Amino acid sequence: MAAFPATTNRAPLSRPFWHTLPGLLVAGGLIALTLAGLGALIWQARQPDVSELWNSPYLRNVIAFTLRQAVISTAISLALGILVALALLRQSAFPGRKALLRVMELSLVLPTIVAVSGLVACYGREGTVTQWIGHWLSYEWNLYGINGIVLAHVFFNAPLAGRILLQSLESVPAPRRRVASQLGLRGWWHWRAVDWPAIRPVLPGAGALVFTLCFTSFAIIMTLGGGPGATTLEVAIYQALRFEFDFGQAAMLAVVQLIICGLLWAFMARGDFSANLSPQRSFAGAIPRPDCGVIHRITDRLLLLAFSVFLLLPLIAILARGLPSLSEVVFGDGNALQQLLTASLRSFSIALPAGALSVAAALAILGLGTVRIPAVKKLSNLTPAIPLMVPPIVLGTGLFLLLRPGLGDISQGLALVALINGLMALPFTLQLLKEPFNGLDRASLNLADQLGVLGWYRWRWLHWPRMRAPLSLAMAYGTGLSLGDFGVIALFGSPAEPTLPVLLYQQMGSYRVELAAATALWLIASLGLVFIGFNALGRSKAPSGAQQLSLERLAEMRHA
Amino acid sequence: MLFRSVLLLAGLASSAVAVADNHTTLTVYTQPSFAAEWGPGPAIKQAFETQCDCTLHYVALESGGDILQRLRLEGASTNADVVLGLDTGTMETARQTGLLAPHEISLDNLDLPIDWTDPLFVPYDYGYFAFVYDTQKLPNPPTSLEALINAPDDLKIIIEDPRTSTPGLGLLLWMRAVYGDKAGEKWQKLSHKILATTKSWSDGYFSLFMNGEAPMILSYSTSPAYHMAVDKTDRYQAARFDEGHYLQVEVAALVKSSEHKDLARDFLKFILTPGFQQHIPLKNVMYPATDLGDDLPAVFDRLIDPGKTLFIDPAVVAQNRKAWLNQWLNAMIQ
Repeated sequence: MAAFPATTNRAPLSRPFWHTLPGLLVAGGLIALTLAGLGALIWQARQPDVSELWNSPYLRNVIAFTLRQAVISTAISLALGILVALALLRQSAFPGRKALLRVMELSLVLPTIVAVSGLVACYGREGTVTQWIGHWLSYEWNLYGINGIVLAHVFFNAPLAGRILLQSLESVPAPRRRVASQLGLRGWWHWRAVDWPAIRPVLPGAGALVFTLCFTSFAIIMTLGGGPGATTLEVAIYQALRFEFDFGQAAMLAVVQLIICGLLWAFMARGDFSANLSPQRSFAGAIPRPDCGVIHRITDRLLLLAFSVFLLLPLIAILARGLPSLSEVVFGDGNALQQLLTASLRSFSIALPAGALSVAAALAILGLGTVRIPAVKKLSNLTPAIPLMVPPIVLGTGLFLLLRPGLGDISQGLALVALINGLMALPFTLQLLKEPFNGLDRASLNLADQLGVLGWYRWRWLHWPRMRAPLSLAMAYGTGLSLGDFGVIALFGSPAEPTLPVLLYQQMGSYRVELAAATALWLIASLGLVFIGFNALGRSKAPSGAQQLSLERLAEMRHA
Repeated sequence: MLFRSVLLLAGLASSAVAVADNHTTLTVYTQPSFAAEWGPGPAIKQAFETQCDCTLHYVALESGGDILQRLRLEGASTNADVVLGLDTGTMETARQTGLLAPHEISLDNLDLPIDWTDPLFVPYDYGYFAFVYDTQKLPNPPTSLEALINAPDDLKIIIEDPRTSTPGLGLLLWMRAVYGDKAGEKWQKLSHKILATTKSWSDGYFSLFMNGEAPMILSYSTSPAYHMAVDKTDRYQAARFDEGHYLQVEVAALVKSSEHKDLARDFLKFILTPGFQQHIPLKNVMYPATDLGDDLPAVFDRLIDPGKTLFIDPAVVAQNRKAWLNQWLNAMIQ
């Protein structure tokens, strides 16, 4: 008990504004950015012709197609994500489970052009899988069209959904699991009583996240869509901005996109699912699930195996393509290697702060969520999604206008890139941290209030032990997303000092296909390292020490 | 605090680079492929700096369209002295912004396939759009646009989208120049052969063509020069089409609000000298805008002869682009 603060003194960071101020800053910043971007476009533009939205068959088609592919992609990604998460939960002894988790994390942050190249090598016309299918099933699979779009979206998003869902499934309170185990709940009943209540609070958020990602998808749609029939709003916005210089239309379409995705987020956030009533501070060991029977053992493992193959094949293709030239780079004259290392150093010096920043921003937003004012709560739910809903070029324009006068040398530019990357990763880190943060039960919170465990102490003793692993994972996602970023760095970086993705695009843009394949592989290896490293960091030193134990015992006793 | 540590780290990353600031800096907005380490940019910077007592500073924006957009956003307060990387597709829009000033330099030694007397834009290189094919997969490529359009549908090609990419727009204009108002029907026929319409040249070339997804991709007639000279392979060649090939000219221009107009004009003059032009053929993989004589790399003699040069006046293109794009969309979506 010695570590607990005396209740008379105020704990550090315990004043109410520490809950609200950082969060309000983040939320306000995001809103200002969006308004600046849209405002700049409208201010520069002719009056947009709003009636064009329903009069132009082209735009109608674009909106309909965008919605259709996003709904299909999201449904499949979520369904597969749930199945995989449940299988992973049940098969904790699945060989290679850890590796699979890392690959799942990796798939989201792969640069699109690299992932698409890997997918094409497997599922394209000349792809290995296509040829197996053609040979063994005599089925002519065609990647190009809605098939390819959905396949690629599922490749990116099912692992993300699975990862988020698994995390909330794993945080099911031990007492509930114990009771379910004692009652021998199986199948539907176990799902209804244990799994579904665990998934339900995060499912809307995960769904909205995946939907928004698919809705705003760009390069995938164009490369694999087969033709201009497959056009999303994002493409139309890009076209209006870059080629027609029709800023009015670009702004109008961006608003349409914002409204559609925003409504979805608002709808998803309408109910407050986060209240968790059962005590869950026990860190008890494995409680056997009653549904770990033989049939599940077989089906689960088959599913996991198939899913691993699905995720690994494109990565293997990238490996096969990049390895020969990467070994040339590594054992070559040293010039190319030097370039690669410098770019890596630069990338990491942007990505690590960006990851930390996105985690800090997510915590700030979560702090805002604890304020019991509905409007503020809503704000905390909606604003973090803004970086996903507003096209990057609109955000970029806004930022450019807001910050340009103060933009000096290159290092400030890179700091800015880290800042924006951090904000762009916010929707992901937030999804990962939300449940672990909000999931603390009311009884514990009340007890903590009574004991005066506030501010820093509350964070250190109540939240930190539960959030160590999620925080590491969020940090890994934040860092990984920034490491693979090309959009923002292209706006504010300098070509003479490329990061890894910039180097990759430069090489691709000037016929250096072999080198580009090597850089792509190197980038993927770096991303893998990030996830392995941070996951190890999150695991090591399990909550230990007498103080930790005493806290747990205290909590357990009260409910014994 | 966090932000400060971000600054610190980013500062560390770039501390190796010192910016010399003791004399005039000429700022050039350009494209990444030009400014990249293996692009022509660095060598040209070095060559120009030895004769100008100034610093040449590249700001690379993603594409010609981005250069233009940045210029519009910044208006008269722009830092740019010169823009380099616009082309015949974007120059009319650039002209209409009124942000550019006449170059006032002599264009006598230009060696372009068309007459060029533009008062604002200085050409620095040019190229022809062409379909590049894989000789191992397609030993006998179509010899004309017409033959391509009438080829069996199992011949697959990759093109870029005219809404987002320069070569994509090039093919649109190429079809227009050959078929005029009949272009729509021809597109419809061609559409069955199009495997993918990618966002950018890189998406098509790296993800699809080099993965062997289709034996032909819309690119430049000069593309094989790179493969032959640097990759040392003759595997990828451009298909010569009887109707002729569509021309793209890349241009530079002086920015009206520049405070170093004399220096900027010196740079524009420098563009038309061997010190600049010699880096174009293999580093930008385009034809130089002046006659390099024997300095033109030998592989350029092995490229296809485009025959007739197809070109639509940029002003006409600017007027009709939207209508032509819509016709293309209608033809393709049906």
